Amino acid sequence: MPSWVKGPQDFIGGLVLMALAVFALWACGDLQGMRGFSFGPGTAPRMFAALLMGLGAAVALVGVVQEGAALQGLSWRGPVFVMAAILFFAFAIRPLGLIVSGLASFLISALGSHETRWLEAIVVGICLTIGCAFLFPYILGLPMPLLPHFLVP
Amino acid sequence: MLELFQNLGLGFHVVFQFVNVSLPAWLGGFSIPVPMNIIFCLIGALVGTLVGVLPGIGTVATVAMLLPITFGLPPVGALIMLAGIYYGAQYGGSTTSILVNIPGEATSVVTTLDGFQMAKQGRAGPALAIAAIGSFIAGCAATVLIAILGAPLTKLALAFGPAEYFSLMILGLIFAVVLAKGSVLKAIAMIALGILLSMVGSDIETGASRMSFNVPELADGLGFATVAMGVFGFAEIIRNLDVGAGMDRNLVQQKITGLMPTRKDMIESLPAIGRGTVLGSILGILPGGGAVIASFAAYTFEKKIAKDPSRFGRGAIAGVAAPESANNAAAQTSFIPLLTLGIPPNAVMALMVGAMTIHGIVPGPQVMQKQPDLVWGMIASMWIGNLMLIIINLPMVGIWVRLLRVPYRLMFPSIVVFCAIGIYSINNAPVDVILAGIFGLVGYWLIKHDFEPAPLLLGMVLGPLMEENLRRALLISRGDWSVFITRPLSAVLIAAATALLVLAVLPTLRKKRDEVFVESEG
Repeated sequence: MPSWVKGPQDFIGGLVLMALAVFALWACGDLQGMRGFSFGPGTAPRMFAALLMGLGAAVALVGVVQEGAALQGLSWRGPVFVMAAILFFAFAIRPLGLIVSGLASFLISALGSHETRWLEAIVVGICLTIGCAFLFPYILGLPMPLLPHFLVP
Repeated sequence: MLELFQNLGLGFHVVFQFVNVSLPAWLGGFSIPVPMNIIFCLIGALVGTLVGVLPGIGTVATVAMLLPITFGLPPVGALIMLAGIYYGAQYGGSTTSILVNIPGEATSVVTTLDGFQMAKQGRAGPALAIAAIGSFIAGCAATVLIAILGAPLTKLALAFGPAEYFSLMILGLIFAVVLAKGSVLKAIAMIALGILLSMVGSDIETGASRMSFNVPELADGLGFATVAMGVFGFAEIIRNLDVGAGMDRNLVQQKITGLMPTRKDMIESLPAIGRGTVLGSILGILPGGGAVIASFAAYTFEKKIAKDPSRFGRGAIAGVAAPESANNAAAQTSFIPLLTLGIPPNAVMALMVGAMTIHGIVPGPQVMQKQPDLVWGMIASMWIGNLMLIIINLPMVGIWVRLLRVPYRLMFPSIVVFCAIGIYSINNAPVDVILAGIFGLVGYWLIKHDFEPAPLLLGMVLGPLMEENLRRALLISRGDWSVFITRPLSAVLIAAATALLVLAVLPTLRKKRDEVFVESEG
């Protein structure tokens, strides 16, 4: 980080917001703008993207002129395994059903902490999966596959 | 006056309604009448307390996580259950404040000051009891206040045109930002981002697809529950994993003996409860962190008028009674802007709006007129829910204490799986689960850069309403932007919003505002 940035946290935060605004402006670039007095579909998104751009710039500016917090380190272990568990669940729920994918994502996300003790994690995971297998389809009446596709006749 | 009783009567009638439920054949196949709404209220309050007590889940996350379990219910039952979850979670939050010195959420931060001290002195029982009693008394007063203010405010709101509505939403959002903790500028930026996110999907008027990149799942827009569970549920988990072993808490080891407060406790706390209730009810109506400000203000006020202020912070029972009554009163009166104007004043109310929309109800003044049973049923259920909390929870304190010992290493994978199933169940769409995961990462990044996720959610809920009213207002005025300041009512609202914003950024006032929030951190 260059030395003229006094609050790196705000500076980076503001820059990312500006980037998001640019992305939004690009994404709604093909939408029609004003038609006479009335808004087209693209008018409001562009307006708020411009607003976000301005606010992002202001946040970044605050980061330059005002003494502020340093960047906090992002850790990798938690986000990676939690995200992996979520992705696994999303791809497995249809073909493999709730029981397999629920338990598997429980164990995958448990990898996200180094404090995990495997025996208790497996026991709790099984209990939770069984509980959810009763709660969602039967008690709440939300239909979803329970068993793997190939086991269901 | 008569109308008031009629309305409340209708509410209680709805809550006590009996529905015939037929038992399955193996139980005899009888059909028995069951008071379904009371049961929903009870389940909501219990589940809310249970999840609210568990380590690492705040009130907003609790409500977001449990949203899907209400989707299968009839609308009245769903809203009653959600309201139950909300105040149950709040109650759970004060329990953790008192027992482990960790506030479940911002509104019970001040409760830790004297509550935890009382617990250390072996008086956790009376502290919990007085928190519940105070909350109940405040809840009763707030329920009546909602009933009184509901009808006139609704009439006022019906007179609003699109320009007034837009200005009102601006005022509401500014209030929300100014009364909350943290940087005003960053919070406004979050609102803008939220509004922008709400525009993904098809345009209401022209049907044109906006920013959806031809992804069919995005054509209907980003699901509200998906984003909420991402930025509150998943993001909180990931953030807590960073903290690691620090999550395990130093629980009060003393055995909890004797729940009932003594006579002296009651005499000391009753006036505090009264003052807290009044302060909370007034501040709760204001949009924003009404409940947060209320609890801080009530505590500071008690300390100021006390004969011996030095007792505060060392286990003064008034220091528990006042903020707990204030935050409960404020939590309930914050339903007023939602039910009458259709404007959610805080993140939990934004989730309520999301739930209503999923049930096909557009919140606002029309709901009060067209579906009075829904609104009044919910209001009556709050009173009953508070009564249930006091009756059920006090004997169950022992169970809650045991729940507090659940280690986080087992909690977080459970929350991940539960949220994933919940999100999938809403639309049976795996893409929603992935999106929620992405928003979890976004939320984690936001937390790391000190951006609050709550205003983002408010912006996302109010976005469509704001756009619609802005477009209509400008269409009526034939493109003339001055309409917002030439129509008197709108001008007043805009002026108030501007004044508030200017006040908030003035250095002297900003210091005062920060001081209020600092009280707890010392």
